[in-house]
Amino acid sequence: MVTTKDLEAHFEFECKACENGRCAKADVEKILSEREGLRDFYEAFKEHIKDCKRMTYGQYMFTIDREILPKAVLWWHNHPKFKETHMSTAVGTDERPLNGHFIYMPFLSVQVEPLNMDRNYWVFLRTYLPADDPSFPSVAEKLPAALWIEREVKDLLGFKPINHPDPRRLILPEDFPDGVYPLRKDMDYRHSPITEPKVEYRETPDNTTLVPMGPAHMGIEEPAHFRLFVKGEEIVDVDYRGFYSHRGIEKTGEGRLTYNQILFLAERICGICGYQHSVSYAMAIERLADVDVPDRARYIRTLMLELERIHNHLLWVGIAAHMVGYDTGFMHAWRIREPVMWLVERLTGNRKQYGMNIIGGVRRDILDYRKDEVLKVVKQIRDGTKTFLDIALNTNTFIKRAEGIGILPYKVAKAYSVLGPTARASGRKIDARLDQATKTAMAYNEVDFKVPVYKEGDVLARVLVRMDELFESLWIVEQLIDQMPGGDIMVPIGELPEYEETLGFTEAHRGEVVHYVMTGEKNKVYRWKVRAPTYNNLPAIPEMLKGYHVADAPLIIASIDPCYSCTERVQFVDVDTGRVKVLTEAEFNELSIKYRGVF
Amino acid sequence: MAETPSYTERLKAWNRFEAEKFSKKAPVTTPYPFIDIEKPPEYRGIPHINPEKCIGCGACVNACPPDALIMEWDKEHGVKRLTYNAARCIRCARCIEVCPTGAMEPTTRFEIATDNKEDLVEVVEHRLAYCEECGEYLDFTERQIEYVKAILPKEIFNMYALEDRIGLTREEKMRKTVVKLRETEGNAYPAFILVEKARDNGGEE
Repeated sequence: MVTTKDLEAHFEFECKACENGRCAKADVEKILSEREGLRDFYEAFKEHIKDCKRMTYGQYMFTIDREILPKAVLWWHNHPKFKETHMSTAVGTDERPLNGHFIYMPFLSVQVEPLNMDRNYWVFLRTYLPADDPSFPSVAEKLPAALWIEREVKDLLGFKPINHPDPRRLILPEDFPDGVYPLRKDMDYRHSPITEPKVEYRETPDNTTLVPMGPAHMGIEEPAHFRLFVKGEEIVDVDYRGFYSHRGIEKTGEGRLTYNQILFLAERICGICGYQHSVSYAMAIERLADVDVPDRARYIRTLMLELERIHNHLLWVGIAAHMVGYDTGFMHAWRIREPVMWLVERLTGNRKQYGMNIIGGVRRDILDYRKDEVLKVVKQIRDGTKTFLDIALNTNTFIKRAEGIGILPYKVAKAYSVLGPTARASGRKIDARLDQATKTAMAYNEVDFKVPVYKEGDVLARVLVRMDELFESLWIVEQLIDQMPGGDIMVPIGELPEYEETLGFTEAHRGEVVHYVMTGEKNKVYRWKVRAPTYNNLPAIPEMLKGYHVADAPLIIASIDPCYSCTERVQFVDVDTGRVKVLTEAEFNELSIKYRGVF
Repeated sequence: MAETPSYTERLKAWNRFEAEKFSKKAPVTTPYPFIDIEKPPEYRGIPHINPEKCIGCGACVNACPPDALIMEWDKEHGVKRLTYNAARCIRCARCIEVCPTGAMEPTTRFEIATDNKEDLVEVVEHRLAYCEECGEYLDFTERQIEYVKAILPKEIFNMYALEDRIGLTREEKMRKTVVKLRETEGNAYPAFILVEKARDNGGEE
């Protein structure tokens, strides 16, 4: 007979919270000694640190006082040993229903040794802000990487970054009233008030002329408004206003969806790097639920991610060719790209938005007869791209427009936390595939590939980095097909722990995608924060534009491969709450009239 | 669904460019939509509800991320209505995965452009089960009851006299349980064991 005592002993043995360092009983000393640099930070800010814990493998959280926030962030960012450390982004959470405080939490990717996922880790610096005075000293004053995120929490949550250099509105539209904060928990997600529009553009500097570019980018046909201040032909300064496609996807996810439904919403954040978002989100939830994803599922995910990278790089190089007026190149790049789309359609059931993921694995298996097809397409792409590059890189139209244009120096790239190929073209040796522990959801630790880095920092370097990466991706795909293990493709997950938080991440073809998830009660998500790579790359655009001609501006902007809908988290606004809600015809019509023009 | 020919079908009928000649000239591009294009069998098109198999359990409604499937109860007329709206559908095929009877059928259709919104909607109506005792409709359909009866093991079926009770409202079930308990008040065994015993004894006699 099993007694209560036995059960308790059993639980102690199985206590996963302790094992992972989340438990209050977990040994702080042991956690600090796990990774290099944690103890130094603890010693340096001893009197301001209230709590420290391990969230999951390779993710550590310090609860610190809000006064020292800039100091603490800069301590990590300017660490002399960890050169490639960057501030990833920050999360603002309304935790008033739980503990009466707001949370502001910047997090950094600490690179002890570049491209070694077992030594690097994430550091979260959690600060509690009182409900009646949610202010904190601005990090952006000293570190431009925090410019946008502080404006974002100011817009959406009503935090007050003190001494912020540019406290204008970033995300909310001009006609949104002041003092209404959409991400606070007491605001219903269906509520969207409107007042008189108020425009806040930066004033034109003396002796310059204004050249507005936008609100739609002419080359990539997406909404962004650049205001170029020019002296003759030369760009002196740039003002940016974007977020025209912000429609509150995070709020929708928190409001009414279950964790398995958010997965499909996440996939539809972006039309191009959708699968990266899907994998990042799945990874976060799997880490929270403490499940081991089967090997075969990890391999299939990696395969799909790499196929996505291949066709995205080809798409981008086509657009770059189009931008410089080399339309033959554009046509050929997209012709080469098309077989990948057909292949992916056969593997997953759709050209884009694969719908391949489920929490705990993948939904469709890769059958054996399709392996030959993959290898055939890989060979075709490799031959095609080689020929294309031979021709394109010997075309004067292309080289003359791309070489020496839009230079982004290493230091600026680091200060703005630029990510992905844009950063690697400026000499930063970062790649989230290998930098952080992606091994729980993907199989990058089991394949061999190089991370190409260029030092020039111009548009041509960005082209070359992407093309080198493309060949590496083809090589990864071949390895994955070779090494594909057998076994299950999915493992079911049970209940999610309540009010736990973690981070999921992948390296999209533009840079690192980050999904922060905090669970709520009853398998719901309390806070879901998405940060696409363009969110970090776009603030650096003004630095790239300064000193170049107006004619180069579209190309330079396109050279970071911007994706506005990713950055701005576009999605539908949904109509009803609850799991099964009864909507009568009349109610439905009423709602559609009410939301006409919203979606 | 799709009573009128779809927009793309009408375009195909137009045959403006003499499609065959055109496809010989251009080896890379195809004169779609004037010809049919090849769809792989794996392609996830819009799903289709097979009303013969559907039992109206609502598993698909729970799984659907964009609310393309909606469940409505009309207790006055005893009808449960399952509505599928292809215009909201994101073709994730979750409904096909979770359907217990295979009533959600995958198709490879993707050309759903139309000038009549009603073409995009499929409605399946189910009769709700009726409680004879209190004269009210239940939350679930008659087909659901049939489905449950078919999958339950026979032993449980006899022991709890499920057949009599399954078509009752919750209040009615509770009332019956209380009545049965009152009957056996003072006995050391729970009601269902007494029933068993009585049956056993009866068999012997």
